[in-house]
Amino acid sequence: MDRPQLGFDQDFSGAAGDFPSLLRRKGLLDSAVAGQMPQNTMQPKAWQPTEATTILAFKFSGGVLVAGDRRATAGNTVVYDRADKVLEIDRHSIMAIAGVPATAWEMARVLEHSLQYFRRTQLQEMSIDGKVRALSKLLRDNFGFVMQGVGVVVPIFATYDGNSKPEARLYFYDAMGAQFEATDYAATGSGSPAVRGILYYEHNWGAKPLHKLKEDEAVSLALRALDTAAESDTATAGVDRSGKIFPVIKIVSRAGINTLPDSKIAAVFKEMVA
Amino acid sequence: MIEEPYRWVEAIANRREYIEGQLAPGSPIAALGFRDGVLFLTLGQTRQKLFEIYDRIAMGAIGHPGDIERLRMAAIELASTEGFTRSAADVSLRRLAHYSLSPVMKSAFEQVYGPPYLARMLFAEVGARPEDDLILRVEYDGEIASNSATYARARQDFAVLSGTQQSVEMMEAFLKTEHKPDCSFEAAVKAALNAWSIGHMLLQAGDTKELPGHDAITQHCREQLAVAAIEAAVLDRNGTTTIRYRSLSDKELRSFISD
Repeated sequence: MDRPQLGFDQDFSGAAGDFPSLLRRKGLLDSAVAGQMPQNTMQPKAWQPTEATTILAFKFSGGVLVAGDRRATAGNTVVYDRADKVLEIDRHSIMAIAGVPATAWEMARVLEHSLQYFRRTQLQEMSIDGKVRALSKLLRDNFGFVMQGVGVVVPIFATYDGNSKPEARLYFYDAMGAQFEATDYAATGSGSPAVRGILYYEHNWGAKPLHKLKEDEAVSLALRALDTAAESDTATAGVDRSGKIFPVIKIVSRAGINTLPDSKIAAVFKEMVA
Repeated sequence: MIEEPYRWVEAIANRREYIEGQLAPGSPIAALGFRDGVLFLTLGQTRQKLFEIYDRIAMGAIGHPGDIERLRMAAIELASTEGFTRSAADVSLRRLAHYSLSPVMKSAFEQVYGPPYLARMLFAEVGARPEDDLILRVEYDGEIASNSATYARARQDFAVLSGTQQSVEMMEAFLKTEHKPDCSFEAAVKAALNAWSIGHMLLQAGDTKELPGHDAITQHCREQLAVAAIEAAVLDRNGTTTIRYRSLSDKELRSFISD
């Protein structure tokens, strides 16, 4: 029985509220690999983006909509068709991931626990900037793996804070951990060029700009965009019409996170997309 | 001193007396299981006494702020690492209190050359049904009293914590007759507030063996509400999110007790 985990460290003060360092101290998380990069004898490989998926997010009248297709691939093989790549981090934050699932899900778990650990120990919610930085730091810590050609993760982070201006916030990252705040929309993954084109077009010349869309319109736009991405990108599933598998769509607003049920997505799909 | 059993026992007794004296003025805390969750309630002027430990676990404490802080951190740290490495469902209050906190507090208390923990804590873990709620009081010497049934008494749906033993007994006597486990939130708030008032009166009054009358309780409660703020938290039984802890504001609670 592994008791050490339940060990009680009397000298530790949690004043810093840093959960990853707590995990490292207990030997539950690998230390950051930056700086101890293996001197690989292999030729530096050409950069191969492996973030095979499509994730999109945009601000609309009811908050931020985050949508992701559900296909997981390895090379040209479809591994799984019900993967959930849009993850809830806390009551008002969503992290959506493109990249290697093992690393991405672990990163999401660490982030989720970090934010909760901070709130519980410090008795206050972490600021938006703090949350955005926390994710950036996890990406940075993971960069050693990225350089070895495994474990690249390129996430989108969406959050809502009634006290900030603007209230809805949307960020995208690169694999090294640089964060960029998006004013209107963001997309990541192999299908993102198509999606970015659609969102840009819709925002500028569509019936109305993205931030004026109502919920149903926003959902149908997300479905159309994912379906378009799937049209040319084999790593993106779009909407599986025969298997009735729909993308995951979550909306974050002042009230919290709303995960749209399949029945609702199916209804919008039937009426406005199919 | 350790080689001389008599002096060790004496030292422990002195230490106990000292700690009891330090804890005696602590404002009571009541934890009541009700239909939709577990309510923690206390009144105070200054520092926070109720804390979130994990998704379904809350803590209330009296004592020295430094010791409370160390124990609170340890509890959060243990629950968080357990929840991270296994799953949130594997975090259990029973294990946290019995395997981690109690042994450490006992040895700190009995090692007479080191400092003991000057703290008394009340923990609750909300269950899927009212009969699954677990409420524990952990003493400075590692002693644990739980709300579950013992040889001496049936299971209770509440537990309290206060500065003196007598205050605790009176609060329990009151709740035993006045609190129903399947009551509404409003009823639980009222029962908890009255129990707090009784506990607080007993801290000041000293030796009484009888419960104060209804009017005296109401009177005392009104006086205290004028000078202190209500601090309360709820662990929701039927929440849709994983985090069930919710702290309640003084304003929110006063709307329930206005009549």
